[in-house]
Amino acid sequence: MDTLMALLTVITQPQLLLLVGVGTFAGVYVGAIPGLSVTMAVSILISFTFSWDVYPAISLMVGIYMGGVYGGSRTAILLNIPGAPCAIATAMDGYPMAQRGEAGQAIGVTTTMSFFGGLVGILVLAIAAPLVSDFALRFQPRDYMLLAVLGILLVGSLSPGSLLKGIFAGALGIAVGAVGRDPLTFTERFTFDFSLLDGGISFIAVMIGMFGVSEALLQLRHVATPTVRQKITRVVPSWKTVRKHLPLSLQSSTIGVVIGALPGTGGDIASLMAYDYAKRTTKKPEREFGDGAMEGLVAPETANNAAVGGAFIPMMTLGIPGDAVTAIMIGALFIHGLNPGPMLMVDQPEMFWFIVGALVTANCFMLLFGLTGIKLFTKIVEMPRSVLIPLIMLLSIVGAYAVNNSITDVYWMLGFGVFGYFLRHYGYPLGPVILGVILSRLLDDNWRRAIISEREDLWRFFDGVVSSPLSLTLMLGVILVFVSQTRLWSFAKSLLPRRKSPQEGD
Amino acid sequence: MKKTVFGAVSALVLGISGATAQDFPSKEIQGIIQWGAGGSTDTVMRSVTPHAEEALGATIVMQNMTGGVGAIALNHVTSAKADGYTLLMGAENPLLYKVMGLGNKDYTDFIPLILLARGTPLLLANNDAPYDDYQGFIDYVKAHPGEVRIGATGPGGLSSVITAMMNEVEGDLDMIKVPYDGDGPALTAMQGGAVDVMPAVLGAAIEAVRAGNMKTLAVFDVEQNKNLPDTPIVTSFNEQYNTFLPWGSFFGVFAPKGTPDDVVAKLSDAFGTAAVNPEFLALMDDRGFKMMNISGDEAQAFLTKWQQGTTWLLHEAGLTKASPEEFGIARPGE
Repeated sequence: MDTLMALLTVITQPQLLLLVGVGTFAGVYVGAIPGLSVTMAVSILISFTFSWDVYPAISLMVGIYMGGVYGGSRTAILLNIPGAPCAIATAMDGYPMAQRGEAGQAIGVTTTMSFFGGLVGILVLAIAAPLVSDFALRFQPRDYMLLAVLGILLVGSLSPGSLLKGIFAGALGIAVGAVGRDPLTFTERFTFDFSLLDGGISFIAVMIGMFGVSEALLQLRHVATPTVRQKITRVVPSWKTVRKHLPLSLQSSTIGVVIGALPGTGGDIASLMAYDYAKRTTKKPEREFGDGAMEGLVAPETANNAAVGGAFIPMMTLGIPGDAVTAIMIGALFIHGLNPGPMLMVDQPEMFWFIVGALVTANCFMLLFGLTGIKLFTKIVEMPRSVLIPLIMLLSIVGAYAVNNSITDVYWMLGFGVFGYFLRHYGYPLGPVILGVILSRLLDDNWRRAIISEREDLWRFFDGVVSSPLSLTLMLGVILVFVSQTRLWSFAKSLLPRRKSPQEGD
Repeated sequence: MKKTVFGAVSALVLGISGATAQDFPSKEIQGIIQWGAGGSTDTVMRSVTPHAEEALGATIVMQNMTGGVGAIALNHVTSAKADGYTLLMGAENPLLYKVMGLGNKDYTDFIPLILLARGTPLLLANNDAPYDDYQGFIDYVKAHPGEVRIGATGPGGLSSVITAMMNEVEGDLDMIKVPYDGDGPALTAMQGGAVDVMPAVLGAAIEAVRAGNMKTLAVFDVEQNKNLPDTPIVTSFNEQYNTFLPWGSFFGVFAPKGTPDDVVAKLSDAFGTAAVNPEFLALMDDRGFKMMNISGDEAQAFLTKWQQGTTWLLHEAGLTKASPEEFGIARPGE
């Protein structure tokens, strides 16, 4: 009974309901603007809500979080500029849809699927939190490393053209991610004695430049061509569409929850992995991936919203943040006089159920705000390019500056924008660059931890991989995905139908 | 005409400089937090500052500026105008920048407005570890050289200092140092069994200890900690630790050198008032931080002593890039 009361706290108190709503609304827009991140918004809220009670403060933060993760998809679909790292995969198929005039449909599907993914994440949080956090704790450095390797192999999925160019782009990303003082030993890497490079290159600046500025530069060439008229008759997807994608969205939600629950990985990696998973498993997409496949929207969007629930799992059960936003929320709970940690669930279970309730409410608001106001949003893409392009540039500059309040980041952003423009011209995919930057540290840090733990002995390392079921599974996954991209696989595949055809001929 | 303009300008200049002295603060103050959002420096600063704002009657806008182990924030504040409108909210590690080769500035370029509190170091172990106290751990390491994995948070971090202390007192301990980028991730890894032991500040571990998710081997202090009444202090195992302890990380608010004295006094008073706020005290106590609340010469003396002790300890352990001598840091006791 107490549990139910705590769960319904948000709905029964109009003030809290309003705050969750306001938070979600603000989150959708904060998330949509590249550079304005949820992390930043939540950390500003800590000071802003200092004198409030804990429930209203958390309500607002939960709303912003949920809305923000979803909001990034808006600009990804409409402008090919992901508003947040977790929407990078969404742009791959969302933008081609918008170019065809189907932005309304794309946003509709994205919203519905984000809602579904969010719900799955919350459900897992509510029922199986201790179970999942036990599982997440079992990940050793070598498992994180294998996960990163698995991520690197996504390059194949993210490179529509030449795989070789994709590999080059991915390697470039990894190198960019390694610049600066190494966070483990503080040794300078690729800094060439410039103190400017000490702090590394801001990953958000790279992302905004590569996607935002290079897109604006590319569009400059078509300033005169009229913009595509958007059809917005079918915003809410039909039940048939939803049902068709249900199995995929369940699977990608699972990916989202687990990756989200792992401390050190979040929605960005989850959505890219889900995209890759969808591309591999979807047998006959209505349209090719990269050309506006519905599956390419469904998978990353369910995964990144499922990762929200996932990130709360280690936070609520162990006091360990699942990502950057939950790290700040732990700080907020502490400032409000609670002791976030493993005892929170025992001492104050109502806090846990209150957060679950707030998440559900925020998820519903997200659906509401997502499906309304699409008309207004699609107007953005219908704007003449001579207005739109300066607007994109302006947003990019503001966004890059806002990350660290540093003008250096703006220069980086512009530099990578121009660089990205030329990369595109020569047919190098940009997705793998960002993938490389995201995975660079995960791979580098955990490989070093893993090998140092085994006294720098490669045999002991492999022994560890083979003797742990988790590592072995991940290793087999890596091998399978790798082989499936080589000629060997297509050769083996080509053998199969040949064996079949004589039978058919009989 | 010229005279009037000159007069107006000089009046304006005088007016402005007059304003700094008497009407401080007349605009928003910027507080630059050296570490990321959600970390212990961040939470401590965000819990004390609202009370200081109240005492001061002004707004302090806090901003996290991470990177370069906090050096970027430190350099940012030193390059700002020394007028009391840009403050640094930091922890202990800038005192190690010079010897660690991380920069050429430290708190000697600042005036400490307040040193708020210090954290007590603990030695923690995974629940499955085959030892239950400090002595058992030392014996085990000596019997199994190169097997125990200890979490490390980079040169100059709390864990590296405690590890250096143990090597100094117990003779060289052969352990595998697994690097992590903070005590939070390292403690998480310890619960998953990726490291066996970890020196960490009490506040970061207390909740997990209360829940029984990890065990404490010793408190690195000279007196019993009331948050952990059952954990023995390390000096009860080996008295040689008395040379180095009490030692701990600390948090403070700093203004760049050259800030007018009366501005310093005003800010110092405001933070002093905030630091005795009962709500804040309860919060700090819960997390096992020891309140210091010192400023002026007392704070300066503490900083000097801390820097001498720690830099020489690290230098003798071979962990520094340059000798403290090069920067005129005297040996402790000299």
